[in-house]
Amino acid sequence: MTLASGPIRTAAPVPAPPLRRSLSARAQDFVLSDYFVLYMSLAYVAALAPFLPTLLAPGNVVNVLSNMWPLLVVAIGQTFVLAIAGIDLSQGSVIALTSVVAAMLITTSADPAVLTKAPIWGVVVTAEGGPLATSAWAVPLAILAMLAVAALVGLLNGTAIAALNMPAFMVTLVSMITISAFAIWLTQSENIARLPEGYVQLGKGDIVSVYIGAKTESQLPRREVYSFVTYPMVIALAVAVLAHLLLNATVFGRWVLAIGQNRRAAEISGLPVRRVIVAVYVIAALCAAAGALLYSARLEAGRPTLGQGTFLLDVIGAAVIGGTSLFGGKAKIVWTFFGVLFFVLLSNTLNLMNLSSFQVDMVKGGVILGAALLDVLRTRLMQERRR
Amino acid sequence: MKMLTKTAAAAVIAAGAATFGGQASAATICFAFQDLETEFWVAGHKAITTTLAEGGHTVIERNANEDANRQLEQVRDCIAQGVDGIIIIPQDGDSATTIVAEAQDADVPIAVFNRPPTDLSKGIVVVADNATIAEAATDFVVDQALANSSGDGKLNAVIIVGDLGDPNAVGRKDGFYAAINKHADRFNVIEVASQWDAATALANLEAAVTANPQIDLMFTSSDFLFPTIRSVLEPRGMWKKAGEEGHIPLAGLDGDATACQLIKDGYVAATGVQDLYFEAESALNAILAAIDAGEAQPNQVIPDPGFALTQANLAEREMDMWGCVLLSEGFLNR
Repeated sequence: MTLASGPIRTAAPVPAPPLRRSLSARAQDFVLSDYFVLYMSLAYVAALAPFLPTLLAPGNVVNVLSNMWPLLVVAIGQTFVLAIAGIDLSQGSVIALTSVVAAMLITTSADPAVLTKAPIWGVVVTAEGGPLATSAWAVPLAILAMLAVAALVGLLNGTAIAALNMPAFMVTLVSMITISAFAIWLTQSENIARLPEGYVQLGKGDIVSVYIGAKTESQLPRREVYSFVTYPMVIALAVAVLAHLLLNATVFGRWVLAIGQNRRAAEISGLPVRRVIVAVYVIAALCAAAGALLYSARLEAGRPTLGQGTFLLDVIGAAVIGGTSLFGGKAKIVWTFFGVLFFVLLSNTLNLMNLSSFQVDMVKGGVILGAALLDVLRTRLMQERRR
Repeated sequence: MKMLTKTAAAAVIAAGAATFGGQASAATICFAFQDLETEFWVAGHKAITTTLAEGGHTVIERNANEDANRQLEQVRDCIAQGVDGIIIIPQDGDSATTIVAEAQDADVPIAVFNRPPTDLSKGIVVVADNATIAEAATDFVVDQALANSSGDGKLNAVIIVGDLGDPNAVGRKDGFYAAINKHADRFNVIEVASQWDAATALANLEAAVTANPQIDLMFTSSDFLFPTIRSVLEPRGMWKKAGEEGHIPLAGLDGDATACQLIKDGYVAATGVQDLYFEAESALNAILAAIDAGEAQPNQVIPDPGFALTQANLAEREMDMWGCVLLSEGFLNR
């Protein structure tokens, strides 16, 4: 920068930026902030709390958090995939398959009337339960099996996408259909219940709970014991912290974002693009397996229909609401955390408003559309700022 | 109440409201159902919600869209809202057990309507005696099939099985086999899986009928599949009235309006009847009584004995079947 010459120019004061521009810039800062969705969530709660007194009741807060953890774990995996401008439609079916795999290994007993026609009957599961039913290592071994199965699925997805250059949408759609059918075939659509208490605790067990006292408002005396720190919370937060470090504090994370921004440029720059893509789909599948652990444990059964229906809408919706770009190259785990929080809050409040499930899904769809539009706006704002 | 079912469902509901409405002070009841895909669930939903509303109670409805996890979350939300009691139609027996435990752990009385948990010892469980009802309906078509056969050769009996994760489906299957096994030497059994899904039943029944063109009797574990059965049999010339050449004795279970019409028309020989209004009344009475008594974890199994409506007893028992009551009100013409 050169100094201006001449007395008039040097004497002239630097004009202050117009107030309107300043507000606009501040609005842009707000929209581009990492905490934008958190602010939205807080505003949403503040706006609704006077009309929905239950919203801030301790029991409801516990519910919101409890519903957050499994979804967060799965959405973290989807965040990695979205970051490379991919998509993983098979996460729901991985949840179904891995929940069945774990359950058939550790179930403590099985009903012949229900499972006798399943191909796993007599081979893996008998009336006395699964092969690990009596093992002291049943739960960790079952989790390892879940992760191994998930990793295999992720490996196949990633290899087909990276090495064969097949579209991620098509590959994971086929995986979704095939794996889901396989899970249903394994048990002939039956659930596998009677899981060991150690496994169930991982989905719903408290580590720290708070006793407040007897509730007096209801017709019935209620015990007011609220979960405070739960196993799902610890598992989900551990996954989130690891994922945050991996995506935002390692070279691998930078590669992921670079591939999402421009795969061709990343290849020319010498990045191991194929290996990173494969690794990302493995991560997504592993996160789905962790989600399967939490969902199947809270429902106390391996279920071949877990993760079906509108589940994928919730997962992708939560990630996108958080700010992860569908175009790739833009993702943070903290965004996904806030996105999941907002999404679960949204579901919770719509329930508290006594809307039907159809209305709830319509509103969710509208919010996700709004988030996608916001993503376009944020991308445009960031491009303008770079110029 | 039973008498009133003989006149009209609306009258039953109104009378029900009067009967159980005054039993408990105004309560907030969460009614969480898995979906309303069959006539039975639609009629049950109407009976429960109308009766509660007319009794001055607040009903919070939750539809889980056949998602067990969503139903669990919805029930938890209901508990957080401080409801006084919960009535659920669960997705299956396993999720019912989990949800009942969840409610009881929060000291909220819960009743399970018609689809029982795998653990019957917890909660108020209103359930039909599926095995006995299915056996009675199957007995009727077995007799017809044996009477129609000319020799001692084996006959083909088809059973369309429900989702065996649902204890109702297991009971119905057991009842079918109890009837068939009385003549085990005369029947080959062909099992067709439906998973309580019409599309699945259609695909599997098409395959079964193609592989076994000679069908001598058929039992469906739920009446809602009769239209599916018709769509498979009719193009093959196998959808015939009683007395016509090639008639297949058909039996079902539920007692819905379609089954009633088909029995009257002669296409269906028998159906096992769940007494829907008795079940709704029992569930409501029990949950409201528990709330009034301050009982947080009521445990009770309320059996619905049911019966089989057949071509033989149609004239005398028609209006004991909820589907015939609905039919008389023009349900199928709406």
